[in-house]
This record gives sequence, structure tokens and C-alpha cells, in this order.
Amino acid sequence: MTTRRGPLRHTPTALCAALIAVLLLAAAFPGLFGAADPLRSSMPESLQAPSARHWFGTDLLGRDVFARVVHGARYSLLLGVAAMLISLVLGLLTGVLAGLSGRAADEAVARALDVVSAFPGVLLAMLVVVFTGPGVLNIAVAIGVSGVPKFARVIRAQTRSVRDAAYVTHAVVQGRGRGWILARHIAPNVLVAVPVIATIDIGTSIVAVSGLSFLGLGPQPPVPEWGVMLSEGRDILRTAWWAGLFPGLAMTVTVIAFTVVGRRLQLLLEGRTP
Amino acid sequence: MSAATAAAEPTADTGTRASAPVALRRAAARVATGIGVMWAAATVAYVVLHAMPGKIEDILVGDQTYPGAQEAVAAEWGLDRPPLVQYLDYLWRLAHGDLGTSYAMRQQVASVVGDQLWPTVQLTLAAAAVAVGLALAVAVGTAGRARPLRALASVAELVATSMPVYWLGILLLMVFSFGLGWFPLTADSGVASLVLPAVTLGLPMAGLLSQVLRESLEATLEQPFITTVRARGVGETLVRLRHALRHALAPVINLGGWMIGNLLGGAVITETVFGRPGLGAVTLTAVTNKDVPVVLAVVLLAAFAYVVISTLVDIVNLLIDPRLRTR
Amino acid sequence: MRDLRPLAAVLIATLLLAGCAPSGAGSPTSASGTSLTWGVTTEPQCFDPHRSTQQNAFIIIRNYVDSLIAKKPDGTFAPWLATRWKISKGGTAYTFRLRDDVTFSDGTRFDAKAAKVNFDYVADPANATDAASLLVNYRRSTAPDPHTLRIELKKPDSSLLESLSSVKLGFLSPASLKKGDTLCDASRSLVGTGPFTVDGYTRGQSVRFAKNPRYDWPPGHSEHRGPARLNTVTYRFLPEYSTRAGALSSGQVDVIEGVQPLDVPLFKDVKGFQYLTGPSRQTSFTLNINYTRGPGADIRVRRALRDGADLDAVVRAVYRGTVPRAWSNIGPDNSDYDASLKGSWGNDPKGANRLLDEAGWTGRDGDGYRTKHGKRLTIEVGYPQPYVRDNRDVLIEALQAELRQNIGLDLDLKINTAGEFTDQKAHGDWTIYPNTLNPLDAGMELRQVLGSTEFLYGNVRGYDRKLDAMINRALATTDLDERRPLLARIQRRAVDRAYIVPLFAPHYQIAATDEVHGLGFETQLDSPANNYAVRVGR
Repeated sequence: MTTRRGPLRHTPTALCAALIAVLLLAAAFPGLFGAADPLRSSMPESLQAPSARHWFGTDLLGRDVFARVVHGARYSLLLGVAAMLISLVLGLLTGVLAGLSGRAADEAVARALDVVSAFPGVLLAMLVVVFTGPGVLNIAVAIGVSGVPKFARVIRAQTRSVRDAAYVTHAVVQGRGRGWILARHIAPNVLVAVPVIATIDIGTSIVAVSGLSFLGLGPQPPVPEWGVMLSEGRDILRTAWWAGLFPGLAMTVTVIAFTVVGRRLQLLLEGRTP
Repeated sequence: MSAATAAAEPTADTGTRASAPVALRRAAARVATGIGVMWAAATVAYVVLHAMPGKIEDILVGDQTYPGAQEAVAAEWGLDRPPLVQYLDYLWRLAHGDLGTSYAMRQQVASVVGDQLWPTVQLTLAAAAVAVGLALAVAVGTAGRARPLRALASVAELVATSMPVYWLGILLLMVFSFGLGWFPLTADSGVASLVLPAVTLGLPMAGLLSQVLRESLEATLEQPFITTVRARGVGETLVRLRHALRHALAPVINLGGWMIGNLLGGAVITETVFGRPGLGAVTLTAVTNKDVPVVLAVVLLAAFAYVVISTLVDIVNLLIDPRLRTR
Repeated sequence: MRDLRPLAAVLIATLLLAGCAPSGAGSPTSASGTSLTWGVTTEPQCFDPHRSTQQNAFIIIRNYVDSLIAKKPDGTFAPWLATRWKISKGGTAYTFRLRDDVTFSDGTRFDAKAAKVNFDYVADPANATDAASLLVNYRRSTAPDPHTLRIELKKPDSSLLESLSSVKLGFLSPASLKKGDTLCDASRSLVGTGPFTVDGYTRGQSVRFAKNPRYDWPPGHSEHRGPARLNTVTYRFLPEYSTRAGALSSGQVDVIEGVQPLDVPLFKDVKGFQYLTGPSRQTSFTLNINYTRGPGADIRVRRALRDGADLDAVVRAVYRGTVPRAWSNIGPDNSDYDASLKGSWGNDPKGANRLLDEAGWTGRDGDGYRTKHGKRLTIEVGYPQPYVRDNRDVLIEALQAELRQNIGLDLDLKINTAGEFTDQKAHGDWTIYPNTLNPLDAGMELRQVLGSTEFLYGNVRGYDRKLDAMINRALATTDLDERRPLLARIQRRAVDRAYIVPLFAPHYQIAATDEVHGLGFETQLDSPANNYAVRVGR
């Protein structure tokens, strides 16, 4: 069904990649989009419907929702990527460790991962945030930690299968050193699985972060993070639908973009893996 | 391997041999590790809770101070003992089935959590039903069909899985409760009030399951035995429902444990959106107020659910795929 | 289809399971005229009047708890379970004559001994009750005869009558007091003398009350005597604004408490509904600035913070004109409110900027905030998450935006946990604490937030001794003519030195169908009164 074509020769993927590029641009240079100051409030302009002046309307404090959505890209992307990196690094360490060690260590890691998984993600994140306080970095840690088992298990399985593969056994027989085998065989073959989960995980993390914001444990107001905006928009839904609709739309589209690109990446990489 | 299965955490490496003693020993080991996981989870939570800022007695006294208030409260709850003693005392009582008393609510934790458990379980089960039902319908209906239909299904799945749960809830509220007035807003008016929350929580899961199931169905439909069945003149619907589905279900069942865990977590947020009673509100208040006994009870409960479900998944796998039994 | 049967069975079972939910009271039975259903914001964490700390819990608790005396709207007190009282010359002994016909709902008699048992229980530190803070000066009670109660104080305390009228010092039967802790659970062991008794409680959903048929001892200023007019009252816990409003609109409840500003037009002046707002006698929502810490130690910075925003516009935008902005931290409807503060401060960005220039905050950083020696002008507002409600965080956000734009001050709102705030209190290093207090005597309220021994300044070095002395003097006098001007001076000093920045005067909102009559508010609590006077019908 899908063959090895260039990553962008597939229309939906190209669209999504372009979208991610736009998001990155918005995160880096929000001014490019003509967005106003996201913190500028103006009481007389409270709760105005979308218009030529305010494309996405204004919120309760008369702030421009479009400006807040554009500026929000920075926080949401930053948090998503940071959380993913935390899951990834910790997952890689534990996964490779478990995959390469003997039975006892493997078992110990598996049980430790069980303990982390036994906490529903939201509860774990709540505990971490309440423990460390609701800073941006702390939230990334909270979401990142609950994502560790997912990465660790995949990487452990991958490491195992590589370790038991004929070419590794061969290298061992040849008397190659551990480090050489790790660098030459294990690392490249294990890492091949990483970009896929990582890309998709950015989307998942963005949603998870916004869930925390929604419960009041996210970044502090007036930060224009999308989850914060949504939770502020919830109560005024009946009167001002725009305050809640647009940040949600932005988030959904972002997650879709990362998922589509991630899956495409997967197809391409699977085509190449031995 | 699809992204969905990558996200799953199958623990299928526990094969079982036919001989009874071995099976028994394995079962015992399983129970022991299960208890171990629960103990470890509770201990981690205990340590984290006690390391959080603020002394419990100060929080309990709040803004109403009078001389000696903190000391009285500390003495009342035994908070004046060394932390290790408090921990051991907690474990001792836990071993005797006593979950303790909530600091903030001054009521038995067992009854506080027990009373709120049912609404959450109810929501989770209803959402699981929505997810499985929708996924089956969409996957069976579209697997291997014409391109536009499949494309439509996969776009729908993608959107469903990408939406934040609570945003979906808000949208549904806006359209069906405020706009059309089809469903009541109050949480305690029976089935009707469960529809929107269950759909909210179940829809993203349905998108994911349907994707996995369709891929798996399509793979199965290409298997030789299906061709044989078709050759016998069995109708297409029957082929799919009766012959292919059973074989295609394996990856979905592997997702089961992860799915229930995810639904339980998502239930916390869904309950907030719809103002439903349940564990969500209790947990949030307990964590922020440092109500240690309540948080620990919720942690134990979640760990128990996780252990039971992952065990069930393994058993079901054995039943579905006899090959695992002899491996 | 054989293969699918188990799956189908599971699905159907789940749906059935979901269907037989323990649904609360179905539809309200307002037609019968004898029962009423409320939709309320808060499920009480604790139903025990002595232990509860949630203002919204008292709305419910008041249905089964009576007090010795009742506060009237003019600030004086009416007889209730006590028919008359006398204060000794030195102000340290209060003698109450009790009614002789009062019984608890379990049939036991309410007499001076029962009252004494209650006060002794609350005042005993070993019981760790919340209400003990109202009895800090309590020495002991005696019951010379069954209908005479004498309360002795360690020192004069002008707040005692107000405290005795509070639901927190209401009476439970001595037998139920013995059950101690378990009273937090709403069960039949909660035995009071009130017009209703606890009839059933479903956690997370509702609590139901039944009429006390023997009741004949309402507060002296009540309009009718004898038992309540309703047979049953149900309170359903509907924490979401939209859910409550929707439930009232669709007839699922008769009355709701807590109407968000944007929903007011659904009920106010709408046929078939009524909309009532309560008084605002207690504390206004106020920023308490720690005047000994950081930039806030400079009076010029505090005054700039106070005057740098157009508070009227901010409050109007957030609350859509449903609440007034505040001038003092004592509510505008309180008889001890200092009315001369009205219009005396606020909305002077020019002056505020001048003050900040004088104070040396003359630099500007990249985000437009003022700086001094390279440090940004930042003051943190630590708002404990469990207390955030009623759009108050949004109000502070609005103020934050105004101050940033008008005077370049960074009002750094941090929603923290109760634990973090507790730590700050213990170290005295909190910077701004936004709050309202549970209803109290005005003198007590001023002491709570400004006094040197209470939760905010208890661990702060360098508090204002002059202010502290004024507060203690006000509390020690029982002469209203001497006390009132003193309380006014305290309010003026606190506002003038910008120790406090009052923001808005909150009040309770009730919306109901027009078939509900007799709804009102309890003076001492500001909150909806119990259902004694309520009836339903055309």
C-alpha cells in the first residue's frame, strides 16, 4: 500500500508537516502572524464575538483570543516536547538497561515500570505537580514521568530482539567489546523505533498538559497556554463559545499533525529496517 | 507494529504450561507481584505526600487559629510521631483492612472512596462500551472496503483520538445540552445523563481501537483460511463477524489493560467537565489538601485495578491464542 | 453469530448496569407544595457545625442547628433559644435565661446543662474543633438552674454575642457530641434542635431533610411559629455553574444558589423565575499585602498597587455589574463598615506612577515592567487552589493586566496549594494573600487579617503595633458607642497605608421558580437562610 517515497510526496503528510512548520514559526516569532499582545486586556472590549478586528473574538478580560492562540503555540509545543524528551531519555535508559541485563535486573525494571503504570497518568501528574509546584518545567516532568513506561517497554523489547539477533551473537563470538557492540549494533537498531513514538508522543503530551491546566494544575495565568484558555472558556460557554472553541481547535489540529507525521515516519522507517 | 500497539503494554511473556503445580506456582507468583506493586505504589505515594510542602496539622487548622490548635490536631491524628512510625502504623492497619480516616472529611476513607467508586466505575464501563461498540461497528464495516469509505473512517478516527477529552465534552455539552436540549445537565438523572460523559470519554478510545482492529481485520481477511471460507459460499458479513473477527481481536485485547487505565484517568477530567460525582473530585481535593489517607486509598485502588486488569488480559490471551499455552 | 454472543452480553450488561444508577430524587415535587429541591454549589466536607470550615456548608447545617441568639439586620440581637441576657459590668460574665420548651430531635431536653456541655466541648483544645477560635477568651460555663446559663470569660470580649449567634456555636445533643468525629458524616446521629432533621445522604449527590414536627422555637423576629411548612427539603450538589442553571431552567430543581454573572439574565426579571441577592455584611474579597516584605514593605509601592487600576471597570467586566466593588474589607452592609472610605481611594494611575518613580522603580525591562537596580517590580499573589472560586482568580488576572499596562507592576498570581500557603504562613514570608473570611464579628475579622497573633501576621516580624493596639482595644470594649468609631479608624488606617486592597463585595445569589415563597438570607451568615419560612405553591 505504501512504498518508499519521499516523506513529503504524500499530500496529507506534506500538509501536516507544513502545519508543524507554521506552529514552530508561531512559537518562535508570534509577531509574524500579526497577533496583538496576548496579555493586553481592555475591559470595555470584554466578550466580543469574532470580527474583523478580533478574528477569534475576545475573552472575559477583553484579550484578543487570536493573539492568545498564536502565542499559546509556544507554551504548548515547549511543554509537549519537553515532556516527550523526559519520557524518552528516562525510557531509553531503563529500556536499554533492562534489555541488556540479566533476568533479575530485567525483572526489577519491569516491576518498577508496573508501579509507575499503576498510577493513572492524571493522578501521577497531580502528585508530581502538587509536590514540585506548578512551574512550566515541573508540569513537563509530571507528564514526562508518566510516559516513561511506554517508551521503556518498547525500547526494552527492541533491545532484546537486537541482542538475540544472529549478527550480534556473531559479533560476540568474534570477541568484539561490549562498547563496540552497543555502538555498532544495538544503538542504531534500537534508536530506529524512537522517532516514531517520540513524534506521536509530542501530541499526546500536549493533550495531557492541557488536561492538567484544565484541572487548575497547569501553567499559571495569564500564560496563554491552550489548556488554561479552555478552562477559562468553559464557564462562559453559553454566552461566548469562541473563547473555548478556538484553543481547542488549535490543540486538536496540532495533535493530528504530529500523529500523521509520526505515522508516515513509521511507514518509511519500517520499510528500511532489516 | 503500529503506534497503537507501541503504546500498549502487553505483559504476555507469562506463558503457562499445562501441568497444574506449575500453573499454581505461577498464579501464586502473580498474586505476590501484584501485592508487591500495590505496596510499592502506596509507599511511593506516602513518601511523596509527606515530602510535600506544609505540615498537615497546619493545613487542617487553616485560617482559624487559636493557641494550641496545631498541637491538638497533631495529637489527634498521631502526626506528632516520627514519620517511620506513622508509616508502619499505616501498613499495620492496612493489613487489617483499615484504610483509616480522612483528615479533612473526618470520615472513614473506605466509605468516602467506596461511595464515590460506583459513579466512576459506571462512567468507565459505559465509556468502554461506547468505545468497543463503535470500534467494532466502524472496523467491521470499513475493513478492506472501497477507498473513500476507509479514508473517511481513518480521518474520523484521527480526529477522535486527537481531541482533548474535556474539549470534546465541552463541544458535546454546547450542542446537545445547551443547543438542542436532548440530554439533561444534572449528573444524577439516570441513563440520560450518562450518555454525553460516556461518549466524551469513549470516543477517543473508539478511534484508537477501531484503527487497530481494522488493521488487524485487514490482515486476517487476507489469510488463506478466509479464502477457503469464502469459497464455501459464506456471505461477506458472516465471514467478517464469525470468522475473521475472532482472529483479529487479539491486538485489541492486548490494549484492554491500557485502555481501562486510561479511561479511569480520563474519568477524572470528564467528571469535572460534567460536574459528575466520582473519584475525580475526591482525588483532586485530597491531593491538594494533603489528605494522605484518601490519596493512598485511591492509589491502592488504581494499582489494584491495574494488577487485576493486566492479569485478566494475560488470561484472555491464553484462551484466545492456544499457541501461547505451549510456548 | 455464536462467537459474538459473550461480547454482546457484556455490552448489554454494562448498559443495564449504567442504567440502574442510584439516581437521586427524580423530579422535584413542587406540585404537592410540601417539598423543595435545592441545587447548591458545595457538598460539605463535614456536616458538624463545630468542625465545618466551609461557608457554603452552613447553608445546609443551619437546617438542623439552632443558636442561643440570632443576629438582626441592624446589628442587634434577637432572642432564640435564650429569651433574654445580661452582661456583667466588667464584661466578663454573660447570664442567659433559656426557653423551657425546647427539645432536641431525639426527644431529650435542651437546658442550661446541654448548652454548657456544648461550649465546654468546643472550647476544649483536645477536641480540636474549628469553632474553638470563637471561644479563645472562654473560661467556663455554669448552670445555676436548668434554665439559666452563665458564661464566664478570661477577659472582656465584645465579639461574644456575635459568636454565640453563629451556627458554629449552635447546639448538638450531648448524646451525639459523644460520638465526636463521626458527626462529620451526615447521618441521623446529628441531633440538633432545628426545624429539620437529617433524613438521608447520598455522597456526591444529595442530602435530604425531614420536618421536625415538634419545632416551635424560631428566632424572635420570625414571621410564623410552629413547625416548618415544608415536609422535606433536598439539597443536590451541582458544582458546575452551567449545570445548576440548566437544572433550574429545566425544572429539575426549584431553587439554586450560586448564579454566575453571565447567567443572571436567564432568571432575573424573567417570567416564571425570581432572582435574589443577599447582603454583603462580612468581609469583602481583599488583597492582604504583607507590609514587611519585599517591594510591598514600601508604602509607595503598596499605594501604587492600590490606586493603579480602575477597579470599578475591572469588577464590572468580570462580574457583569452584579456585584459592587469594595471600599473596605468589612462588607458595605455591615453596621461597622466605615462608609467614609467610599470614593476615598483608587483609580489614579498617574499618582501611582509618580509614587513608583519616587520609590526608585524607574527602569523598564523588555516586557514593559518597571525595574530598580535591574530587578523587576514583582509582587507575588499566592492564592491557595482549594479557595479559588467564583471567578476570583479571573478578577485578580484582570487586575494584573491593568497594573501591568497602567503602572508596569508585575502582580504575579500563583495558584498554590494549601500546603505551600501554610508553609508561607509558618515563616511569615507570604507576600499577598487574597481572601474573605467566614462570618464573624467585625472586630474579630479585623483582628484575623491584621492582628499580630492571628494566621497572617502571627509569624511576621515588624507588624504595625499601633494598629494592633487599636484592634485589641476595640475587642476589649463592650460599649458600642466607643467601639464603632474605633473599628472605623482601623479600617481607614489599613486602607490608607494600603495594608489591604479591598476588591469587591461578594454576596450570595439565589434563583428560583416563582412558586417558591419565603426565601431569604441569614443576617449572621449573609448566606441563604434555612427553610423554616419557605413554602411552595401559587
